[in-house]
Amino acid sequence: MITLYDFELSGNCYKLRLLMSILKLRYDIVPVDFYPGRQHKADWFLKLNPFGQLPVLKDDELVLSDSGAILAYLAKKYDEAGLWFPDDPAITAEILRWHAVADDITATSSAARLVLGMFYDFDLEKAQKGAHRIFRLMDEHLWFGEREGRDWLCSPAHPTTADIACFPYVMLSEEGGISRQDYPALRRWTDRVRRIPGFMVMSGIFPAGRALETT
Amino acid sequence: MTLSLSDPTWYPIASSEDLPFRHVYQGQLLGRELAVWRADDGNVNVWENRCLHRGVRLSIGINEGGELKCQYHGWRYANRSAGCTYIPAHPADAPARRIENRTYPVREAYGLVWSSANNDIAFTPFPGADSADWFALRPMPANAAPEDVHAALVRLAPDDQPAELLPGLALRLDGTLYFVQPVDAGRSVIRGLLAGQPDDALTTLRHYNEILTKLRDRLERAAARKPAPTPLQPIFEKVAVDLATMPEIAIPRGNTMPVVVKRKWTSADGVIGFELAARDGHLPTFQPGAHIDVHLPNGLIRQYSITNGPGELMSYIIGVKQESASKGGSKILVDTVREGDLLSISEPRNNFPLRRDAVRSVLIAGGIGITPLLSMARFLDKSSLPYELHYFTRAGEQVAFRGDLEALHGKVILHTGLPRAEIASTIATALGEWSRAQHVYVCGPSAMLESVRTTAAAQGWPDEAIHFEYFKNDKVIDDSSSFEIELARSAMTLHVPSGRTILEIMRENGLTVPSSCEQGACGTCLTTVMEGEVDHQDVYLNDSEKRSNACMMTCVSRAKSARLVLDI
Ligand code: FES
Repeated sequence: MITLYDFELSGNCYKLRLLMSILKLRYDIVPVDFYPGRQHKADWFLKLNPFGQLPVLKDDELVLSDSGAILAYLAKKYDEAGLWFPDDPAITAEILRWHAVADDITATSSAARLVLGMFYDFDLEKAQKGAHRIFRLMDEHLWFGEREGRDWLCSPAHPTTADIACFPYVMLSEEGGISRQDYPALRRWTDRVRRIPGFMVMSGIFPAGRALETT
Repeated sequence: MTLSLSDPTWYPIASSEDLPFRHVYQGQLLGRELAVWRADDGNVNVWENRCLHRGVRLSIGINEGGELKCQYHGWRYANRSAGCTYIPAHPADAPARRIENRTYPVREAYGLVWSSANNDIAFTPFPGADSADWFALRPMPANAAPEDVHAALVRLAPDDQPAELLPGLALRLDGTLYFVQPVDAGRSVIRGLLAGQPDDALTTLRHYNEILTKLRDRLERAAARKPAPTPLQPIFEKVAVDLATMPEIAIPRGNTMPVVVKRKWTSADGVIGFELAARDGHLPTFQPGAHIDVHLPNGLIRQYSITNGPGELMSYIIGVKQESASKGGSKILVDTVREGDLLSISEPRNNFPLRRDAVRSVLIAGGIGITPLLSMARFLDKSSLPYELHYFTRAGEQVAFRGDLEALHGKVILHTGLPRAEIASTIATALGEWSRAQHVYVCGPSAMLESVRTTAAAQGWPDEAIHFEYFKNDKVIDDSSSFEIELARSAMTLHVPSGRTILEIMRENGLTVPSSCEQGACGTCLTTVMEGEVDHQDVYLNDSEKRSNACMMTCVSRAKSARLVLDI
C-alpha cells in the first residue's frame, strides 16, 4: 500500500502523482498543509522526515523522502518495462544529472513562485535570474536534441524520470514571474511531456492538445 | 533609431520549425505579444496573444488543428479569420460571428515566419531572396536593444569585407543573412539564414550557435551597464462588452457576398456537391451546424448547411438534393449552375448550435440531412470529443460525402436500406437512456425527426437535449384569426382577414417584402415586432426568440392581440 504525504500546490509532490498516474499505481493521499499551515514543520511530520520537506512516500513500512529519490524508487520497483529509470550505467548517470538540475530548478523557479505566491522571503531577482540561466541551457540542449532526433532530456527514445523531475517547476515558472517566451524548444518539450499517456494535470498546469497520430 | 509601435516593417518572428504539429508558439514583436500557430491546413496564424474574454494568453491555448481554444474559459477562435466560434457561457447558442481576435499579417518564407505590426506595406523579400535554398540557424534571444544588436552584428565583419546593410535591421555578412527581430525596446532575437543546405548541418548549427552565444553574452554584459530602455507600451484593447456578450437574440440580417462555384460534383446518387469559394481571401467564420442562404439565378433563396470542419474558411462545401419533383429551388442549382459561375450567398447563420460541453453527442442524419451533421462531426472530431454519427439512407449509393465520413475518427455508423420499423428500433438503441450532459442532433425527413423526438422522450431525454434542424415546416398552420397590422415605417394600417397571410396583404398593398419558403422555415421574411402579441407558427425561431415577442415570420405567423405594430 502506497501513501503519499502530499500538498496539492507543490510541484515536488506533483512529480510523484504524475509518475504514479503514468504507471497506473493506486495510492492514498495524506494532505499536508504546507501553506499557510506549515504542517511540514510539525512534530508528527518531522518524525517522518527530519528534513521537514515534502513529499514523503510510504510504501508499506518503508518511508522515503526527496522527490527525485522517490521517482527513482517508484520507477525501479513498479515500472516493469524498466523504461523510466533504465539500468544502463551511463543512462543512470544522465538521469541523475538531470535530477540535480531539477533541484536547481526548484531552488530558483520554485523559490520565485514561493515569493510571489506564498510570500516567502527569498531574493526574488536572484531566483528569477537563476531560473533563466537554467532554462537557457535546457532550451539549447533540447533544441539540438530535436535536430539529433532526441525528444527528451536524456538519450533514450522515451521519457525518463529526468523529464518528470524537471517538468513541474518549468511549467509553473510564470507564477514566479519567469517567462518561457525565449525558450521555444523548452516549450515544445513541455508539450511532449503533457502528451505522455497517463499524464495528469495540477492546478496551474494545463493539458496540451492532441499529439500527431502515428498510425 | 528608435523603435516605434507603428513600424510597418516585416520582421521574422519565428522559424518554420518552431511550429510543429498542434503547437502554439509564443512570440513578440515591437512589444506586442503574439500567439503563433499552424493549423492542419498549413496556414500560419499570427494573433494578439490574448483571449478576448479575459486577456489570458492564447499561447497556453490548445491548437485543435482548425481552432485555437483558450484553456481558461474555453472560448474558441477559428483558423484564418480568428473569429470566435464558441463561448461556453452560451452553450445553447453560437456567438455573433463578428467577435474576432486581433490578427497580424503573416508570411512564411525562407524557413522563417514573418509578420509586421500593421498592414501598411506589403511583404517584400530581402534582396537576393530567390537566389538560394535558405537554411535557418538556431535563433538567439538577447536581452539587449535591437539597434545595439544590429550594430554588434555589423562589427562582426572583417575590415576588408564590411557587412552589407539591408532594410529592416538586417545585414549580409559573408553570404550569411542576419535579421534582428525587435522584440521590445531592450530585447531582441537574432535570426540567421545560410544560403544553401550545409553538408554537416549539426556541426554548422553548433558553430554559428557558439558565435552568436558569445555575441549575446557580450551584448548582455554591455546592456547591464546601461539604464534599461523603457519597454514599448502596446495598448491591449479588450473586446467591447456588447461584442463579448451574447445578444438575447442574434439574428443577423447580413449582406450577401459573391462566391465562385469552384467545384461541382456528384457526391452520391441524388446528391450534388458544390464548393463555393471566396473571390479573394477567406470566407466568414461559421459555427458547426450553420447554413447559408444561396440566392439562385431565378430569384429564389434556398438554405444549405455548410459541411466544412473548424477553421476551413477558404470555401464552403454544401450538398444539394436532386429533387425529382420539379421544384424550382434546388433544381435550378443542379441543372444550370456550372463551375466558374458566380453566386450570391448570405453570411452564415446558425439555428442548430452544437454544444461542446457534452459527455456524449449523438448525431442522427437521414438522407441529405447529413450536411449539418457532417460539419458537427468534424468539429467534435478535431476536439477529440466523443460522438456517434448515425446516417440513414435508402441505398448505399445514396451515402453522400463518403470519403469525408471515412476520414473521421469517431464512431460513424451507416444504416442503409432499413425497413421503417427497424429504423425506429435502431434509433432507440442508438440513443439509449438519457443521462446528464448527453445531447442528440437530428436532421432529416420529418418522419425521422418525429421518430427521434418521441423515442428520445420515451427514453428520458429532456427537450433541451434534443436538437433539430428544420428546413421544412410540417405544422398545420392555423390561419383563422383576423387582426390589424400597423406598419410603422410605411405609415399604413392594414387588415389581415382569416385565410390570408400578413405577407400577402402587405404585397397586395404595394410593399416589396422578401420571402423564400413561405412556410415559416427559412427566416427570409423575418420582421421586427414593435408592439402586440405574436401567434408564432414558424419553426425558424427558437423558443426564447418566440417568447421575446420582438420578431416574427410574416409568411405564417399571426397575431394574438387585436393589433401588431411592425417595423416595416
Ligand atoms: S419566407 Fe421562409 S420563414 Fe417566411
